[in-house]
Amino acid sequence: MSRFAKTHLGRRDFLRTSAAAGALTLATPGLLRAQSADIHMQTWSAAVDTVQSHLAAFTAKTGLTVDYGNSPYAQYRDAMVTKFVGGAPLDMMWVSDAWLPEWAEAGWIAPIDENETLMAYNAEADDFCTNSMTYGGRQYGLTYYSDYMAFFYDAEKVAAAGFDGPPTTWAEVVEQSLAMKEKGISEHPMMLAMAQESWLIEFISALVFSHGGRFTDEAGASVMTSSPGVQEALQWVVDAVNTHKIISPACVETGELNGLKAFSSGNHAFAMIAKYRLRTLNDPAQSSIAGNVKQAMMPMGPNGSHATVGWMRFHGMSAAAAADATRAANTAKLIEWFGGKADGAYTFQKLLFLDIGAGFGTKPLFQDPDIRAAYDSYGDVDMIQAQQALAQKKDVVTPWFGEWNETNGSAWQSAIIGNTDAAAAVKASSDLWTELKDAY
Amino acid sequence: MTATDIPHTRKRGVWDRIGYEERSALVFLAPVMAVLMAVAVFPILYSFYISLFRIKLTRPNRQPFIWFENYTDLLGDHEFWMSVGRTVTFTVTSVAAIAVISLLIALLLNEQFRGRRFLSTILLIPWAIPYVANALMWKWIYDSGYGALNGVLYQLDFIDKYMVWLGDQDKTLMLIANAFVWKEVPLATILLLVTLKSIPDDLYAAARVDGATVWQRFVHVTLPAMRPGFMLVMIYETMMAIRHFDLFFVLTEGGPGSASHVLSWHIYVETFRNLSFGSGAAMSYVLALATFGLSYFFIRTLGRRM
Amino acid sequence: MDTAIQVSEQSRRDAEGYRRARLRALWVRRMVIFVSAVVLSIYVLAPVVWLVSSSVQTEAEITSVPPHWIPEEPTLQNYRAIFSATEEEEITYENRSGVDPVSGGFIPSTAKSLLPAMGNSFIVACAVVVLNLLVGVPAAYAIAKIRFMARNASVYFILTTRVIPDIALVVPFFLMIKNLGLLDTLSSLIITYLAVTVPFTVFILVQYFEGLPDELDKAARVDGCSRFQALIHVYLPLSLPSLVAVVLFTFLTSWNEFLLALMFTQTEASQTLPILLAAFTSDFTISFSFINAAGVLAIVPPVIVAIVFERYIVSGLTAGAVKG
Repeated sequence: MSRFAKTHLGRRDFLRTSAAAGALTLATPGLLRAQSADIHMQTWSAAVDTVQSHLAAFTAKTGLTVDYGNSPYAQYRDAMVTKFVGGAPLDMMWVSDAWLPEWAEAGWIAPIDENETLMAYNAEADDFCTNSMTYGGRQYGLTYYSDYMAFFYDAEKVAAAGFDGPPTTWAEVVEQSLAMKEKGISEHPMMLAMAQESWLIEFISALVFSHGGRFTDEAGASVMTSSPGVQEALQWVVDAVNTHKIISPACVETGELNGLKAFSSGNHAFAMIAKYRLRTLNDPAQSSIAGNVKQAMMPMGPNGSHATVGWMRFHGMSAAAAADATRAANTAKLIEWFGGKADGAYTFQKLLFLDIGAGFGTKPLFQDPDIRAAYDSYGDVDMIQAQQALAQKKDVVTPWFGEWNETNGSAWQSAIIGNTDAAAAVKASSDLWTELKDAY
Repeated sequence: MTATDIPHTRKRGVWDRIGYEERSALVFLAPVMAVLMAVAVFPILYSFYISLFRIKLTRPNRQPFIWFENYTDLLGDHEFWMSVGRTVTFTVTSVAAIAVISLLIALLLNEQFRGRRFLSTILLIPWAIPYVANALMWKWIYDSGYGALNGVLYQLDFIDKYMVWLGDQDKTLMLIANAFVWKEVPLATILLLVTLKSIPDDLYAAARVDGATVWQRFVHVTLPAMRPGFMLVMIYETMMAIRHFDLFFVLTEGGPGSASHVLSWHIYVETFRNLSFGSGAAMSYVLALATFGLSYFFIRTLGRRM
Repeated sequence: MDTAIQVSEQSRRDAEGYRRARLRALWVRRMVIFVSAVVLSIYVLAPVVWLVSSSVQTEAEITSVPPHWIPEEPTLQNYRAIFSATEEEEITYENRSGVDPVSGGFIPSTAKSLLPAMGNSFIVACAVVVLNLLVGVPAAYAIAKIRFMARNASVYFILTTRVIPDIALVVPFFLMIKNLGLLDTLSSLIITYLAVTVPFTVFILVQYFEGLPDELDKAARVDGCSRFQALIHVYLPLSLPSLVAVVLFTFLTSWNEFLLALMFTQTEASQTLPILLAAFTSDFTISFSFINAAGVLAIVPPVIVAIVFERYIVSGLTAGAVKG
């Protein structure tokens, strides 16, 4: 009997200890989850200092604390998708126009058009921006910045190669680059960043549009195989890498940031980069070719034009925040502070422009003397506006964009590194588009 | 098992009838069984259930039951089979390299010499390093702009200008395999060393009497005796290589193009980038079954040999 | 007489020749061992030494071509950024840098999360160790020492669960954890890590317990001990080496785990060290030397543990792997 009791005592002890350990395990998150901030804000890591300074002013003004996190733009969508699905605390976040349908359809972000204070800013906003934030008739945020893909050249290298001016067609880009290679000015005169990341679709779109191509028609059906510009654009890149060797074969692992660094350290003569990077490229503190970087119209393909791609990014509100009245109100205040006026002025838009050159979507700022002076100091305002007029919205912005983009990027990369030919790559991408569209 | 173990004051139920040994075993095993049911058996069954639906988290309101469509879709999924092919290449190369390198190191460490202990201690470093840190380290070594690999080759005049490494599709998979091998070799070496030490000295003595050379002794005595150790290394490292994910995530994200788009990366993309949980579950189920099949095959072979 | 001298002369010469051949063989052997040992040391240490060297270089030095193998002006700035990140002053309009992180040499704001992430890794690893011992020790004892009907079946069952690849568990785990509301908690990691550690723990321990004599068990029972007491008072004290091996192995596995943590953690509240490291490597704005410093920080604790407890790890790994 005593032995029996002992057995049971032991077992009970054991069970009790296990239960206690288990309970402790489950209790740890409660102890460690101290989330005190009023608003959770997530952005990609751009202008981090500028954002932080503007946040400090927000907290000083409203008393609301903001938990600010940032992650690289290159993998931003993937990171955010995991956060949304995982229910991470999120109130305000930056959103690219390309992801709007997907995120709205999935119920991750919420429209802000019932907030009259925010909607009032539309009166002074660029229509391109307002349209790009609208999906299914609802508006999902206020503009963070808007820009387009530009073609830059290093004037010194072009002159050294014996040319009077920058190339105007993609064929001339090849011609001038070959001359530079010959003279040893640059081993890979053209910089193109083709790594699989968020920027890739903007580069691909600019190449395609300037070759006169379209991905889809008015109805959203794929015209990639019937619109010759798509395949011509890809073929140009394939030849530039493999035949002419004017683009480094490493372009498939070069992201926008590394491409920018390489161009600004003088390794290349031509580059396709977002227009706002002109500010950085002509800043002696950040670029060794400062002063030599000029913008030219996007070169055109044989059947194309100087067209390029334009885009915008916006401050959006998560559906989780919108569902809670207090959180929604606080988040709206923060969106206004960044995307509207802060203390009666477009402070953030102006700071952002002066610091990193990112374009604003608010018309009154064009009249601001500081901004005009800044533009004149490093850029050619006429050129900037001429190219702006030819910027087209991406035509692949759909709920299935994310999934298609992954495959399209791989298809282009495969063609560039010679695994498939351009026609097969374009066809694969087009087939997937049709499949995803039908499945939707 | 004595009668006194059974408490006579209680009514005899099923519990008492199964005997003290069985009862105490049950109690002792209950926690482990409960844990494994919860974190292994249930998830695997649940995974199968999920794989019968078309679940897309971007469309939370439409998740039809589609029987085995996710599986039949896989048969015609070119990308899937390509990624299986890459996994096979990666696994075969890595395991072969691990077997050879760890054999050489084990032979060295089986000798008596000064500094042997030092060597076997530092050999544990790669094993202890987290895979992500290992990946970070190799990413920096392979860096085409400032990496050590280019630096060494350049200073030794093997190359006259810096080369692209991970960005070159012909090299990517092998470079990742190299990082994998570096980290896995220590464990394989330890396993082989144990086998080496267990070879009886008489075998060598007998061979020596027969006038066998060093090489003959190695081929006819050492290698056959190490078969069990080798099989073990093969099984373990094959399992590790097939499922490996961390290096692919940090080093290349499946690129360039799809040069390092292996099966585990494919499953990750399908599940967490395309948010297709249904087909992602189907793919991981196929992977799990394949792994089961392989281990069964290996264990059968191993069992016969040992 | 002459012939005798000749014979001994001959044998002397033979012995001399043999001695020389032997010396040569010894010398060859020593050279082979020396060269292989040097090659092996370089193979193992060079990558790690290069990482450490890179972590104490300035951004200007680290981007020199060809690389500086030994830093010319070593700096601890990266480590300082990690250990004193919490003391940074508030950024205002006036003191903002005014440049984009793109201009390079950027030390991310997540630098201050490195130490908390290490803390998370530590808590998770400790909890997994404790739970492993709680469920693993009795199970291993039962399998090794109790003759019961389903003994083989239990062994096979545990063996089978070890073969399941972790990536195959990711989808169901994610949905389970989400439905339990445990996403972004340390608990999600502790629970799921049991799947990858428990089978191994049981194998190491079974192997060891089987090596201990059954008579101890019988003697304890005769003295009136229950099964449970026999385990606690008799076997546990004897199996210390294998327990140490289990603790170390489970700890390191949890400390190093990446895939599951990548799925289940979102914020600083639960992110472990590997997650932060991986995020750094994909961010091209971050200073190269800072990333390397973070890498060094992640390597140091497990490497120290491995070197200090080398003996236990080798025996544990051997036992577990041989069984599994």
